[in-house]
Amino acid sequence: MTKDKMMDKEKIRVSDISGKNGQMVELDPSRFLPLLSPYDTLELEPRISPLTAEQKIKYECDLDGISAIMLPRPKTEREKRTLVDKFLSGLTKLFDKEDNWTFIQPLLLTMEYCAKCQTCSKACPIFTQSGGIEIYRPTYRSEILRKLYKKYIKPGGRAISRMTGEDIDVNWEMIARLAELSYRCTICRRCAQVCPMGVDNGLVTHELRKIFSQEMGINIRQLHELGSSQQLLKGSSTGMTPAAFKDNIEFMENEVKERTGLEFKWPIDKAGADILLYHNAGEFLAWPENPEAFAVILDAAGISYTLSSDLLGYDGVNYGVWYDDIQMARVALKHIEIAKKLGVKKIVIGECGHSHKALAVIADRILTGDFIIPRESSLTLLADIVRSGRLNLDKSRNEDIFVTLHDPCNMVRLMGIVEPQREILRAVAPGFREMTPHGVDNYCCGGGSGFAIIDNANFPDWRHAVAGRMKLRQILDVFRDVISPEHKKYVCAPCSNCKGQFREMFVAYGIFERCNILYGGLAELIVNAMPNLKKPFFDWEWR
Amino acid sequence: MPVFEYNGIEIKVDDDGFMEEPEKWNEPVALALASVEGVSALTEKHWKVIKYLREYYLQFGMAPMIRRLCKETGFSLKEIYELFPSGPAKGACKVAGLTKPAGCV
Repeated sequence: MTKDKMMDKEKIRVSDISGKNGQMVELDPSRFLPLLSPYDTLELEPRISPLTAEQKIKYECDLDGISAIMLPRPKTEREKRTLVDKFLSGLTKLFDKEDNWTFIQPLLLTMEYCAKCQTCSKACPIFTQSGGIEIYRPTYRSEILRKLYKKYIKPGGRAISRMTGEDIDVNWEMIARLAELSYRCTICRRCAQVCPMGVDNGLVTHELRKIFSQEMGINIRQLHELGSSQQLLKGSSTGMTPAAFKDNIEFMENEVKERTGLEFKWPIDKAGADILLYHNAGEFLAWPENPEAFAVILDAAGISYTLSSDLLGYDGVNYGVWYDDIQMARVALKHIEIAKKLGVKKIVIGECGHSHKALAVIADRILTGDFIIPRESSLTLLADIVRSGRLNLDKSRNEDIFVTLHDPCNMVRLMGIVEPQREILRAVAPGFREMTPHGVDNYCCGGGSGFAIIDNANFPDWRHAVAGRMKLRQILDVFRDVISPEHKKYVCAPCSNCKGQFREMFVAYGIFERCNILYGGLAELIVNAMPNLKKPFFDWEWR
Repeated sequence: MPVFEYNGIEIKVDDDGFMEEPEKWNEPVALALASVEGVSALTEKHWKVIKYLREYYLQFGMAPMIRRLCKETGFSLKEIYELFPSGPAKGACKVAGLTKPAGCV
């Protein structure tokens, strides 16, 4: 295949996924949609580094030259055959009601009802901003699964698929590419939202990842071994043990006292409190001003709450929600157990998007009877507090900052929590302005479904240049009239994952140095507007 | 896994250059790892940071909060970047022989 043919989107067919001719697509950044000033020329953008010669030999990268998984190339034909068998076994389980009781219904609907109208493709930030690279089209990925479903799952599938020209060749090359392709979608579900048929291409990504993880043990180290498994073992995906957590709490209590004069003891393991609050443990380590802000607000508002120092009790993450139902269930059950043990009336989820998805939405599938406990977003709780007037806020304390709001997919589009965070920003930030589009039509930060913490090979480069491209464009657009560095600008992102992506993407593009744009959570903006502080609650410096 | 060699010392490292066997760390190893960081000599300031990281790691099995590292060594984040160009996580922690920090950090 010549290079021209490879890049011509009309010529890439679904069946090419099984091709034995090496790399399918060569990424050409000059075809990505242009950004805005001051990044309107390609030269000002960071490169997508190619894999090293060593990495290309060692790892599967024949999709697009990017390696998210660092999936080792099998050494023998026998190894490949075993993997192919495993994949097909996993595929069967995916469509079995007993094995996939969590998601079988929406999956089947998605398999049966696509009208191929491509409305989803127009809505997908990765597909559109890449300049329309065919493999990133939502339906490209789904059609692969659909062909597999029609051939291997539906009765008479093999014969029918041959007759209708819908055949798909299942070989290791296809499987390796599909594994990588399942990590080219952030499961933002913008596609699912616009689909006139109710098909869910984001779900397809998730279900594919399940075959790889649950059946084949193929997953991403930062999500699994150093993620959900580490959380189950040590108490947190960050590796923070209960001892380290308690030590950090003490440190942060002193920090709060220094900044605000407030002397308080963080409520930990308080049985009978009204609320159990779950933060993403990464906040304590990378952005302590956020949980500190929560502590200040809840203290001032007189809310009865507690944190937990039990294993998993101080870490609300649930990475399994991105790739593995078993890990997801294990962690969700633990989170609920801890709440039950403390006898709280409800769980409140801090500024973490996927934690909302896991605990407030997906967990419903496994919570029955005694396990049901109300779960609420911190966004609605904070909005109630701000509205009550108990905090005596003075928004002029934030007036020198232009603020925009990034709507995290898992709280806004998934759960419909749209107004509370805006109500809060209008009350604390005179410089608040909306991105276009926003609310449930928001675009993903590019770090969703675990991308923000996948640090492998050249994947981060792709994540910044492609996955996060639309978001970056939106940020440059909303601040276009004040883009120069003398204006302080803040992207309010009430989600740890989104903040992680903004941190990495902003570093890659030099956003803070060039444009003076900072990112951060919501709670700290609220505290910044509290009148009894001697100095700003957070420093205007890179974090 | 890759083996990093410097001045006769062999260190097993992961794909990002972090030690795979942190218990084998010692001062010559730190110098070796520092060379990758583009740091040719380790000053007293460097050692202050390294010592703090190492002690915290031995006690808690992980890297400390960045805020904490700054406060307890007395260096600003900017100064830490000046000492270790790749920063506290990717630079200083590596030289101090910690394993690579993970999670939403």
